[in-house]
Order: sequence, then C-alpha cells, then structure tokens
Amino acid sequence: MITLRDVTKSYGEVTAVDRVSFEVPSGEVCVLIGPSGCGKTTTLRMINRLIEPTSGTIEIDGRDIMDSRPEELRRHIGYVIQSVGLFPHLTVAENVATVPKLLGWERRRYEPKALELLEIVGLPPAEYAEKYPRQLSGGQAQRVGVARALAADPPLLLMDEPFGAVDPLTRERLQAEFARIQRELRKTVIFVTHDVDEAIKLADRIALMRAGRLEQYDTPETLLDHPASKFVHDFMGSDRALKRLGRACVADVMRTDVESTTDGTRAIPREACTDSRFVYLTDESGVLEGWVDCRVLDAGTPPEDAGTPVDWREAAVHPETTLKDALSRMLGFGFRNVAVVDAQGRLVGEVSLAAIEATMADADTHIANLEEGEVLGALPDEEARS
Amino acid sequence: MVALTGCALLPFVEFRANRIVSGEPESVLAAGIAGWVLVAFVVLALAGAVAPERARGPLLLAAGAGSGLALLWALGVAAVRLQQGAPAIARVSIGPGAWLAGLGALVVWFAGTRATGSARVRRTAGAVALLGVAAVLMWGGLAELSIAREYAVQSRRFWGLVRQHLVLAGSGVGFGVLIGIPLGVLASRNRVVREVGLGVVSVIQTIPSMAMLGLLIAPLSALGLAAIGTTPAVIALTLYALLPVMRNTFVGLAGVDPGVIDAGRGMGMGRLQLLVRVEAPLALPLVIEGVRAAAVLVIGIAAVTAFIGAGGLGILVFQGWGQQADDLTLLGAIPMVVLAVLADISMRGLRRLVVSPGIEEGAVS
Repeated sequence: MITLRDVTKSYGEVTAVDRVSFEVPSGEVCVLIGPSGCGKTTTLRMINRLIEPTSGTIEIDGRDIMDSRPEELRRHIGYVIQSVGLFPHLTVAENVATVPKLLGWERRRYEPKALELLEIVGLPPAEYAEKYPRQLSGGQAQRVGVARALAADPPLLLMDEPFGAVDPLTRERLQAEFARIQRELRKTVIFVTHDVDEAIKLADRIALMRAGRLEQYDTPETLLDHPASKFVHDFMGSDRALKRLGRACVADVMRTDVESTTDGTRAIPREACTDSRFVYLTDESGVLEGWVDCRVLDAGTPPEDAGTPVDWREAAVHPETTLKDALSRMLGFGFRNVAVVDAQGRLVGEVSLAAIEATMADADTHIANLEEGEVLGALPDEEARS
Repeated sequence: MVALTGCALLPFVEFRANRIVSGEPESVLAAGIAGWVLVAFVVLALAGAVAPERARGPLLLAAGAGSGLALLWALGVAAVRLQQGAPAIARVSIGPGAWLAGLGALVVWFAGTRATGSARVRRTAGAVALLGVAAVLMWGGLAELSIAREYAVQSRRFWGLVRQHLVLAGSGVGFGVLIGIPLGVLASRNRVVREVGLGVVSVIQTIPSMAMLGLLIAPLSALGLAAIGTTPAVIALTLYALLPVMRNTFVGLAGVDPGVIDAGRGMGMGRLQLLVRVEAPLALPLVIEGVRAAAVLVIGIAAVTAFIGAGGLGILVFQGWGQQADDLTLLGAIPMVVLAVLADISMRGLRRLVVSPGIEEGAVS
C-alpha cells in the first residue's frame, strides 16, 4: 500500500503539486492522468525521490520514504519511462539484470531471473538476451524496459507514460501484455498517462489531476458515471458509453453454454438449434473451424452445405478482449453474435450484441441523468471558476 | 593516378657529388628494368580505376602494392648503379618523381582497401605487401641511398633519439590524460569548470609551440624550475594534449541520452555508479578519439622541443637544416610520421577492443 498525505512541491512561487493526498491499496493499478503540466509526473517522481517533496509525507507500506537513502529506496521500486532509457552498451540480458547487480545478487541468481523475465514480457531469451538495444524495435525496447523494472521483484512499480512513444498498434499490444502480466504479478502500480482510453483500460483507480491539484480519485466507472466536476466530465470525454465498454471485457458477459460439434455439419442435431442461433464447428482439440447459422438449416438447406468455415484469428474474440473491441468486430462482420476462443483458438463461449447492449443500457441511464442535469446541477459552477 | 603518371616526367633520383651540392636529375629509366616494372604497375593502376566494380578492389591493391615495391626496388637499383665508380662521399637522393610515385602508390593502395569488400583479401594483400617490403629491405640496394647512409652514420644516436621522442610525447599524452579526463568530467558536472576550463584550454591550443616554450620560461624560472630541457618540454606537450582529451571527455559525457541517465538514477544508481557503469562506457569512443588526436598532435610538436634541449627526433631535423643535408632532415621526419601513424593505429585498435559493440556503428547488424 502506498499513501500520499498533503504532498506539495513548490519551485519558488510556482506550486507544481498542491496538497495531494491519495492511497493505493497493494496490488492495484493507480493511473495518474490530467492535462500536461498538471503535476502528474512530478507526483510520480516524488515517490522514488527523483524529486524531493517540499512538504507532506509519502509512505510505502507504512514506511516514510524519507527514512531510507534515495538510492536504496529506488532499488526496491520498479521504474519505467517513456524514453525507455535502456543502456545501449549493455546487452538486453545485462540491462534486465541492472538492479539485481546493484543489490549485489550473485550471477547464478540474477541470470536465470533475467531470462525468465524476458520470457514473461514476450521476448524469447534465446533470440533476444544477447542483442543490443539498438537492434530492437520501440515496442521490444519497452518490453525490455518493463522486464528491467521487474527484475528485482519490487512490490511497487512507477511507470511514466511507458507506452507513449510507440505506434498505436504496438501500444494496444503492450497494454494487453501489461494487463496480463499485472494479473499474474499483482504489483502496486502508479502509472502516468495523458490518454483517457489507456487509463480506463488499465486502471483500478484513476487520480485525475489539474493544475497541481487532485480533482477526483476513484474507480474509472465512478469517474465516468459520477464525475465530481464539469472538468472531470469534460476530460473523460463525451463518448463515455463506449469508454465504459473499453472497461469491461468479453469474459464478463459471454455465455459458455454454446453448441458445438466436431463431426462437421452432417451430425448437427436438429434440436440443438432450438435456443441458439449458431452451432460452432471445431476440430478434435476444440479449435474453432467454422459455424452453422440455424436459420439456414430452418430454411431447408442440407446440413452439409450450411457450414461457414472461418479462421478464428480473424472472426473470433478472446475472453480478455474489451467489449469495445468485440462490438467493433461484430459491426465489422455484420453478426449479432461472435465466438470467443482462448489463445490457442479453442472455443470457450459466445458473446452477443444483446449482452453488450445490456451493459450499455446501464451507462446510458447515467448519461441520460447527466444530460438532464440531475448530477451536474448539484455541482459548483465550473465555468465561472475557470 | 595523376601522381603516378607525373612521376615519370619528374626527376626520379638526384646524383650529387657530395651531400651538400645540388644534384643532377636522373629519370626513372636510370633504374633500368626495375623502372619499367614500376611504369607497368602504374599502367595497371590506371586499368584498375576503370575496371568493373568486382575486379577493381583486388586490381587496385595489386597495383598499389606492386608499384610501391617496384618503386623501392627501382630506387635501390638506381642508387647502386649511380654510386658505382663514384667517390664515397657522393650521394644519391630520392627525387621529387619518386616521392610523388610513392604518394600515388599509397593512394592507390588505400583506394584498393576501400574498394575491396572481403576482409580476407585485404588481409592477404597486406601480408604479401609487408613481406615484399621486408624482402626489398633485406636485399640492401636501398642502403646505397643517401638517407640510408645518413642512418648508417647516425645509427648509434638514432634509436636513442626515437626513444627520447617517445618518452617526451608519451609523458605529454600521459599527463594530458591524467589531467584532461578528470577536467572533462568536472566540466560536464559544473558550469564554471566548463566555461572557464574549456576556454583556457582552447586558448592554450592557439599558442604556437615555439611561443609556448618561450612563454614557459618566466613562470618556470620563478618557480625555480629549469626553463630548458625535459621539464618545460613535457609541460608544454601536456598543455597541448589537454584540449583534445578534456573536450572529448566533456562532449562524450554531455552526449549521453538524458533518458538513459534518468533510468539509471531511477533504478538506484549513485553518482559514481552512474559515471562508471553508464556514462563512462558511453563516452569512451569519444575519449579514446581525443587521446588519439592528442597523441598524433604531440608527436609532431615534440619535434620543436629539440630547440630547448629536450632531445628527440627534432634534433636530426634541425641538424639537417643547419647542414643543408636534406636527407638527415628526412631521417628525423620520416620516423616521426611513422610514430604518429603507429599511435593512430594502436588507438583505433584499443577502441575496437574496449568499446562495447552495442554503441559502435557497424559492430553488430
């Protein structure tokens, strides 16, 4: 757990961070977000004392950070930055082993650890361990950056716009990887970004800052549904219904009792079509190969001609896919249902437009409330203040 | 190419009745068959220049090495022939044509190494060329040349002077490194050191070497130190070595990516750890480059310190001028060039040895 109490940083007359207090429970991801110059990076850098607070206290698991030497403190806090900052003269493996070496680990301890971490971040060590940073792409370099931050197994991770410098596609993959690693390792993470979608996707809690002050600190859902001010409302954006869908994943709303058969279309039992529109076709190991639309069967098409072969890589979604992406997949294919498969392509369920609509309806109510002024009317007049 | 063809028209060697009077020019054909071989290789070099890309490298290498060796051979043959029947004090000097031809051979050789893709071909050609040079030297015809005669007279002194020269230049560079690197580090940390230090050292660099030796007399006398001899020479050379070493150290450190520094600090490196583990290895190529520049510079300037009695190869140069014996001057000058080239090569070798392949262009693909 990490606790900030009335943390303030002033540079002469200018107050960069103004009496910020919040608490992040262990194992949660706290995203600091806000317009540029709002003090989010300064706040982050005060936690590992790269910037010394002017006043206030910061505690990690009940211990004041001012009680330990800055170098000692930092060796137990993972640190990932936008520019990555890999050491160009060291190999990937040596880069990852940096903090363990500083901590005086022996080679036989840090070497396997470095290789294990490369594996975790999706860079096969056999191929990447001996490469030099300039041989890596931006996305690969940041994976190494994350591995390096995790090397000494710190309980706390500070990430300053870690995925800000890579292309959108790579960013999405890195975000998904990060979410997966975080589910596994359960670190306490403070994550700075200016990208609202990224914050909604990754955060357990969002700390929205503005001009050095904490505007609102809450779960993404609460920030979307119950913004504390007009500023929060505007900053989170107008497409909040869609953003909420970016928050939930397919696993939350999919049904797993789908009909499937390994015998091709011939053996589809007619009665299987009673309450399900699709029967999925799989191979022996359960990998999705196609589907049969029951309406086609009803229309009298012989079963052997009714199947539509598909490639699961294109036509299916994964349990961890966000509802936002699942929806866009459905719209793209023109179906009201889409198959859910695991990483190996094995069928695990199905998600329907109706299920997604139900989630949206929830959000819609809130938005309707907002637009009618039921929530906003109770807020202080933001326009006048700013 | 121009140099090589031009050589045929200029006097190749000069025959003098003794070491001082001006000589009678002789053409390259005085060397008989060796001269013709040289001309043949010149033609080969011209052919290499217009040859298709794949054949160009090896052809130029062969032409460069061949014409270089033929040149040495021709010089020897001409010297032996002209010395025959002449009195013992007669001298055969290397003429402008031969110098130009030598320059041309070097140019062709280096063009060849650049045009050759395969490192194995390059190495083999280098080995063959070295063996050839060794063979020509063993044959002894060159001993008849005037410069070799000067060496024969000076041989006792010669190696002592070379050693002296090396000691002078070596201590200059050594002290320059010992003082320059810490100053460079300080300059990267401290604005005052940066502005004042680099300013002062740059001004020192602009002082002509002779003036420097003169300027040092007063302060050294005031301190009770000898104003002539080795001490002021080493001090002057150290001052000259300082700029390249200090400036390159500073530039190398200042050029380290701030993101890398931030990452290092954020992971818990102290100032010294950051310097030793991150900044120094990254600045190393530039630091070594600075030491290399300092070494080449100081080997040259060390010649001038002969004026204040510090010794070194400069003595031969100045004596040669004094006696109007050009070949004695060359006996001092050529080894200095060789020393500078050797210093250059060894620093490049050192760089290849100690700089991480991660930051050397072309070291890893």
